Amino acid sequence: MRFSVFTILRFVSYWILWASFALTTTAYAQKDSIALDPVTVKGFVPQKFMSGLKIQRIDSASLALVRFQNISDVLSAYTPIAFKNYGPGQLSTASFRGTSANHTAVIWNGLNINAPTLGQTDFSTIPVAGFDQLSVQYGSAASIVGSDAVGGSILLGSNASANPLHVSVGRQQESFHNHQARVDIGYALPLNSQWAFSGKTALYHGRMNNDYPKPTRNTYALLPTETSQKGIVQDLFFRAKNDQEISAHVWLTDNNLILTPDDSQGREMTRTSAYRTMVRYQVRTLTLRTAWVRDIIDYAKGDISRPDHSVTDKFASRIEKDFTLNIGSNVNPVSIKTGGEWTHYRSRVPGYAYSPVSENRTDFFLLSRWQPTSRITASINLRQGLVTGFIPPFTPSVGLEYSLIQKTLYSLLLKGSYGRSYRVPTLNERYWKDLGNPGIRPETGWNKELGLEQAFKAALGGTLRTSATFYHNRIKDWTYWNPARSYRVENLQQVLARGIELQLGYQRQNGLWRTGLDAGYAFNKSTQEKAYDNYSQEIVGKQLVFVPEHTANANAFGQFRSTKLTGQLQAASKRYTTFDNSQFLDGYGLVNLLTETTFAFDNFKLVLQGQIRNVTDTFYLNVRNNAMPGRSFALSLTFSYDSQ
Amino acid sequence: MKMKKQLASSLAIAFSTLAVWSCNQSDPAPKGDYVSGVFVMNEGNFLQNNGGISHFARENNTATADVFAAANGTALKGGVQDYAASEEQGIILVDNSAAGQDKVQFVERYTFKDEGTIGAPDIENPREVVIVGRKAYVSCWGSNSDYQYGTGYIAVIDLTTKKVTQKINIAKGPENLVYNAGKLFVGTTTFTNGKILTVINTNTDQVAQSIPMEGVVTPIGVDVNGKVWINAGIKALRLNPESLVTEATLAIGTDAAKVPGSFTMSNDLKTIFFVLTEFDANFNASGKTYKFNITDSQVDVSKPFISRYFTGLTIDPTQGLLYAAVTPSQTQSGYAVRYRGDGNVVDSIKVGITPTGFFFQ
Repeated sequence: MRFSVFTILRFVSYWILWASFALTTTAYAQKDSIALDPVTVKGFVPQKFMSGLKIQRIDSASLALVRFQNISDVLSAYTPIAFKNYGPGQLSTASFRGTSANHTAVIWNGLNINAPTLGQTDFSTIPVAGFDQLSVQYGSAASIVGSDAVGGSILLGSNASANPLHVSVGRQQESFHNHQARVDIGYALPLNSQWAFSGKTALYHGRMNNDYPKPTRNTYALLPTETSQKGIVQDLFFRAKNDQEISAHVWLTDNNLILTPDDSQGREMTRTSAYRTMVRYQVRTLTLRTAWVRDIIDYAKGDISRPDHSVTDKFASRIEKDFTLNIGSNVNPVSIKTGGEWTHYRSRVPGYAYSPVSENRTDFFLLSRWQPTSRITASINLRQGLVTGFIPPFTPSVGLEYSLIQKTLYSLLLKGSYGRSYRVPTLNERYWKDLGNPGIRPETGWNKELGLEQAFKAALGGTLRTSATFYHNRIKDWTYWNPARSYRVENLQQVLARGIELQLGYQRQNGLWRTGLDAGYAFNKSTQEKAYDNYSQEIVGKQLVFVPEHTANANAFGQFRSTKLTGQLQAASKRYTTFDNSQFLDGYGLVNLLTETTFAFDNFKLVLQGQIRNVTDTFYLNVRNNAMPGRSFALSLTFSYDSQ
Repeated sequence: MKMKKQLASSLAIAFSTLAVWSCNQSDPAPKGDYVSGVFVMNEGNFLQNNGGISHFARENNTATADVFAAANGTALKGGVQDYAASEEQGIILVDNSAAGQDKVQFVERYTFKDEGTIGAPDIENPREVVIVGRKAYVSCWGSNSDYQYGTGYIAVIDLTTKKVTQKINIAKGPENLVYNAGKLFVGTTTFTNGKILTVINTNTDQVAQSIPMEGVVTPIGVDVNGKVWINAGIKALRLNPESLVTEATLAIGTDAAKVPGSFTMSNDLKTIFFVLTEFDANFNASGKTYKFNITDSQVDVSKPFISRYFTGLTIDPTQGLLYAAVTPSQTQSGYAVRYRGDGNVVDSIKVGITPTGFFFQ
């Protein structure tokens, strides 16, 4: 016999692991214009209290460039986040600053939308069509965002339409018989002298048939898979002149992946659906929000008509109040935001020890921001979470920004932050039959970072921004589906992630010409620090699996009138695939070329875009040890109408 | 043009002379990097499809982790379930996590150069291989997508044409194979409730007999007296090779929750070694290694031969050392640990991920 029990256990535990046990990788990169300044855009996440932290806003032009693609394509192109990718249209999880897939909070209009069962997001299920704004916040912001914000946070937001009527319809056709389509309608109208209404309706649909011309590349299989994706986004905003706003947000999304679809016995289906709904009411300095999110995962093998059906409901309500604290007549007042959040989870998962399971979580927070002088901004933020069964650690953070040089054409800013992070165990970690661990402890870490940002307003005929950030993030009680214990989850690891991020952004406008370059390089060393059994000695000090030590990205564009050519480079060094670093996937670099031109007539616009992906036909492998596709092409046409 | 022709013909003459001369040499020594030594079968980590065959010379204590990759510049792309070799050909059973990607990989025996594959639907979830003359018998679970072990088979491969010539259906996950005198003894995986020992006549490639047993069946081997040993549940049975009648039954303890496996026979064919595996509530495998003599009346499980759990066990026919496979986890390198006949450890050698067995030449 030999060993077969191991094998079957792997089958049994396959799908928790499918998504729960993920550490990282792929690529990096940056984008058309990095806004590294403290963004104080009106938003759902209190970014103004994130002083000292690095926030990168991906501008709308960059999002428009990949409007038919998934968020992982944007993040790979414009940030050093590494993706652990199982193949095109398949599971793709993030490793942000060398942390695991559970350590990136994905925040939609202020609400954490990581699947509560898995504690992570499959980025292949989030299309760019699903949101209007995208910001990336680096490092731990747990005191502001809450659980999961250990390596960083991805902030997605909805925008109120400013235009009375905007309609756009587009479709992209890609190699391998893949295609995507989206329709966006934005509208706005005054209701009466006091109230105005605006909204957005978006529909998207995509299908990846992945009909590769050859079944292998360099003898490695291109795994046959099909993915179809569809969704609806509905945002409604009612705004009153007396600083009142009511908004409602709905995002229904459905992603269906089938591996080896032509094999009726062996095919595997993973269908991930989410209903996300939210109502928000703001009156002056008081904000109330309530949300219901249902996450559904259907998994089946062979007969896909009767899948294992997992449903998790999350009910979340939040109240927050802003006020200013006067601390003296000669000093600026302190901005304060305080509030609480209550979340109830209820989950029915076939693999759990019992069903349904439910859990309550409560958070209280106090955020502050103070600008004693024009050169200094400081924040102190405090948070305490409470969870059924245990109490997560008290989570403070301090952030400071100091403007070393402030001149008309040059500025230099020093920023730093020191804060605690935590991650509440996922429902799978607590309740999975046999392999879960009801007594598992929350993870906790301390994140330190220090950065310099400089801006030249007139360098080489344009504006130039550069930044360098050093970080050091130690995470204790890191949970681990321990492969030496049949993948039972344990608080085994202590991981130290540290590194450097360098970014450069340059833009120039010269007559009808616009040019720009955004480039980034990141070094990340992320290692296990503690041995917990005889053989784990061999993994102490080793780089975590699927976390490349070096990533680099560059985006260069040139635009003449309404025609734009963009070149993207994404590169990653080798990724270890075993904890003792005995095996690895080779490093690689990818080049993409995108060109688009806009034809405008009256209020109508037609955008024609062509892409060549993986221009150099680079060979590289994904997590399954399957080949990734070579050179491919995409062509899209988007037709739009704006009433203004 | 003429020059070219001349060159071609002189080259042809030179080559044929060389060929004739080679034929005249008696028993030419095989050439290649892997003429002798120990080969380790590594299952890898299932979803990562990163198994391989490791190799080391007996006198060394470092291994080449993946000889197929070293020889061909590309990996096997799956877990290695078994390896066997005919005179010139090696046969690797490769199991991939995705349906339809499993295969039999042929290699040149001494260089490990790729010599082609047989894939699905001829080979699905291959488990074990035994070579008989110019035929290879490969036990396969079939597609087994529902893990019910319904429709397995023995694939019969003609080694000359490298084609599957026949599939002999066997239910309940056919697994271990033992060949003896025109008969192939087939057991089933321990995950099932299969209690049938199937005997295949290798002359006709038909099922000759299906013998019900008391527990899940694992054929062990043939002893010095020519008797066939079978494990059924927690018993070891001695069968008459002709009549297939059970001549002796040895109990392996009394705890049916403990699963005997990784059976291997000593070089004198008088002692049988095995690992007794138990699982705790969290499915953690643990256990110890035991041995018994073919003349024993029962298996003494009160005294382990080695108080350690292994994921594979084989005795080197050349030196007689016991090779035991250690798997710390499926995410880091395993070890081959060598023991003397008295149970004392010699050394250990780092190999691939999840080692489960050894092949010696």
